[in-house]
Amino acid sequence: MASGLRSTRGRGKTIKAPKRHGPEVSVDATWTQLSQNLKEVLNNNAEKLSFEENHRFAYNLVLWKSGALLYKGVMELVVANLAKLAHEDVTPSFPTGAASDPVHQSHEAEMLLKALRRIWDDHTGNMTKLSQLLSYMDRIYTKSADVPQTREAGLKLFFEHILRPPSAIQEHVIAAILSQIQSERDGYVINRSALKECVDVFLSLETEKDGPSAYERDLEPAILKESQKFYASEGEKLIDSCDAPEYLRRVEARFTSEEDRTHHYLSPHSHPPLRKILEDHLLTAHSSTVISLPNSGLDVMIDHNQFDDLARLYRLFIMVPSGLPCLRKALKESVASRGRGVNKASSDPTDIATDTGQGKASGGGKPRIATSAAQTLSLALKWVQDILDLKDHFDQILIRSFKSDREIESALNEVFESVVNSNERCSEFISLFIDDHLKRGLKGKSDTEIDAVLDKTITIFRYVADKDVFERYYKGHLAKRLLHGRSVSDDAERGMLAKLKVECGYQFTHKLEGMFHDMKLSDDTMQAYRTHLEQSNPPDVPISVTVMTSSVWPVTQPNVSCSLPPALGKSCKSFEQFYLSRHSGRRLIWQMSLGNADVKVAFKNRTHELNVSTFALVTLLLFEDLPADEFLTYSEIREATSIEDSELKRHLQSLACAKYKVLKKHPPGREIEETDSFSFNEDFSANLQKIKISTVVSKVETAEERKATKGHVDEERRHQIEACIVRIMKDRKHMTHNDLVHQVARQLSARFAPEPADIKKRIEGLIEVRVSCSLPSSWHIPDAMALQREYLERCNDRKSYNYLVCVKRLRWSLLRLELLT
Amino acid sequence: MTEDASMRTEPKDSDWIRVTSKNGFSYLARRNVVNASGTLKNMLDVDSNFAEGISRVCPIEERPYIVEKLMEYMMFKAYYSKVGPKEDIPVHDFMERIPAPIVLELLLAADYQDM
Repeated sequence: MASGLRSTRGRGKTIKAPKRHGPEVSVDATWTQLSQNLKEVLNNNAEKLSFEENHRFAYNLVLWKSGALLYKGVMELVVANLAKLAHEDVTPSFPTGAASDPVHQSHEAEMLLKALRRIWDDHTGNMTKLSQLLSYMDRIYTKSADVPQTREAGLKLFFEHILRPPSAIQEHVIAAILSQIQSERDGYVINRSALKECVDVFLSLETEKDGPSAYERDLEPAILKESQKFYASEGEKLIDSCDAPEYLRRVEARFTSEEDRTHHYLSPHSHPPLRKILEDHLLTAHSSTVISLPNSGLDVMIDHNQFDDLARLYRLFIMVPSGLPCLRKALKESVASRGRGVNKASSDPTDIATDTGQGKASGGGKPRIATSAAQTLSLALKWVQDILDLKDHFDQILIRSFKSDREIESALNEVFESVVNSNERCSEFISLFIDDHLKRGLKGKSDTEIDAVLDKTITIFRYVADKDVFERYYKGHLAKRLLHGRSVSDDAERGMLAKLKVECGYQFTHKLEGMFHDMKLSDDTMQAYRTHLEQSNPPDVPISVTVMTSSVWPVTQPNVSCSLPPALGKSCKSFEQFYLSRHSGRRLIWQMSLGNADVKVAFKNRTHELNVSTFALVTLLLFEDLPADEFLTYSEIREATSIEDSELKRHLQSLACAKYKVLKKHPPGREIEETDSFSFNEDFSANLQKIKISTVVSKVETAEERKATKGHVDEERRHQIEACIVRIMKDRKHMTHNDLVHQVARQLSARFAPEPADIKKRIEGLIEVRVSCSLPSSWHIPDAMALQREYLERCNDRKSYNYLVCVKRLRWSLLRLELLT
Repeated sequence: MTEDASMRTEPKDSDWIRVTSKNGFSYLARRNVVNASGTLKNMLDVDSNFAEGISRVCPIEERPYIVEKLMEYMMFKAYYSKVGPKEDIPVHDFMERIPAPIVLELLLAADYQDM
């Protein structure tokens, strides 16, 4: 608004001022008087002077076109005054250099800084007053003469005459500032405000118009150089004298103190370069040394759960670009070595149970036989628990010390993945662990605890590359739990299943869910069967049957049959009739080896209720009608039951050699020989009324079994790879080799990690015209059709493939489908 | 007034300032009004501590009539520099109140007073 008013009213420039009658007093006289007064002002005697009078002098001088004289005169006065101030105040404060004691030196430096500040304050105060008095000159003369206004000119003069050679002041002042900073770094207390005021002087002085300030040009480089020197040696000193946590503590203290310094008395502008110096000399230079310091480095901190130290380590290391990779690498090494320890501990007794290799896949195994197997079981549990603990430990550190840093998390995941997968039995172990928890662990633990354990197990499971192997084991273990009713909580089972479903999708748990479904259906069927029995005449022995869909349940071993006693046979027949009357077109196969039975046995003292496997029952029944003192030889039993040797031996062992010796073996011993004979142990006694004789302990596989499992898995994988290739090619029609391999690997990665070589083999398998002789001739397949197996064709460039659609193949696959179903 | 001056209190907007003209007329105005003139403001600056600043008496070497107009404008400027941006500033009204014969003299004085 003010300017608006001014412009409407105009200015002396546009409208000529009314002519005065020349100077009433001469220019020289006016100047003499004014300069006298200005000197008084510079001597801080302004209060005696009239502002109006002197202002009018200056006004007149400018009006009388003597601005140049005025300006020059004023500057001379200022320079003279500055020289006087410097001489009187600063020069006497120069450090004598005689004092050797740091406190004294620091005091001297402080005095010098204070003196500089004093003359600065004096000078700026003077310049303010002058600029007020000479405001008319500033407004009119300086602009037209293109010279700086009084105030800027004052700053410039100060810089030129005080802070620049030949004046020795600058050199001394900078030295004083550096020595003050140094003594603060050495732990002495200094007068920060004196330092700050002095630095402010440097900050407010421009070396040239719009150029860098005196601080940037002269002071800052000196400070940085000094700091660099100091911290280079400081880094060396600390790394030699401190352990890692102490080193980090010191370094962090340095960081905060430097930040404090720039914040309090240096320019914030110096913070980045100073910090860079710290980072370079204290962190980048020594990061790997610190992290791997023996007896105090990262590993030891992790061992002792020094969360605060680790957090400090993290805070410092993320500052420098090389820090995080260094930390990641060290962490990985740490985890990997711990993981190796765990893996090693779990694989020590490698050749377990080769001698007891005779089956533990089904029915009633005996804990005694399988001592070493049980050891392996506990080994498996221990392995998973160890891995869990390890993971827990590092998760704790990640959360508490590393702020859940994404990069570190991914590094940890990577290394855990390699640790877990480097144990080739990881899938089996994890499945066993879950099995154990769902069977036994549930007792004495609350649901939430179990849930937490299973959740953690899932996180390990996530690392497993070969998920299909896990599925195989889990299926087996789940089947045993379901069939033997060993699963403590149905909810927990389903919870686990849900977790797996979330992890791997519907496909993965499809069959597992099918098993649960079958169990439920069987319950319903049994209900109906019992109602049916009430109406007709029931057989003597009531049975309970689980009908399992053969494609869903893992029935690994060939169907081991036995000749049932007539009473049992009748029951079976009865159910079979009932079932087939309800469902036409189905076939029932009895899996005797998976069943068990409750039987009442009258001993001499009392009657016990025994729970035994079906085979054991069949064996026991042979002794039913036998007089107490008679024997049955091994071969007699085998003939009567027609149970396979290995199975029979196992069950006899569980009856005669285990904790509850229902049968007597002659001669006594732990192993069953074909020459042994057995008799009923009438004197058997036990505290419990109900005795469970055979316990199915889920055991670790023997080496052979493992090989078999691996074979199964490999075969399944072959099919999956082929199916995947065909699926992709059907979609794309044409694809290069590399793309195809890549796609297949990607699609299958959720289940397992296929080898590129395997994929290549499968592709070739799909291309080649296979002359198959393995088809039974009874199938009567026309040769032309049976021999064709062309899904793909190789293109001329030999790098890509075409998908072939041909009627023959379509028909052939239909045919195959029929045969398979 | 002399008492105040010796105390060197902080300058307040509501301080009374005496402005004198030729022929011995004087005008009293608040400090914030007088501050509308750059020259008077400098003159009264407490830090610089000139004689006028201590006594709070500012001479303006003009005819009383001119000084009166200057004072009027200072009031006007001090008042309207505080109103909101939407309010109309009656610059025209003010200009009409300046008699033509004194325009040049007033202009010169205003230039000296830096207002």
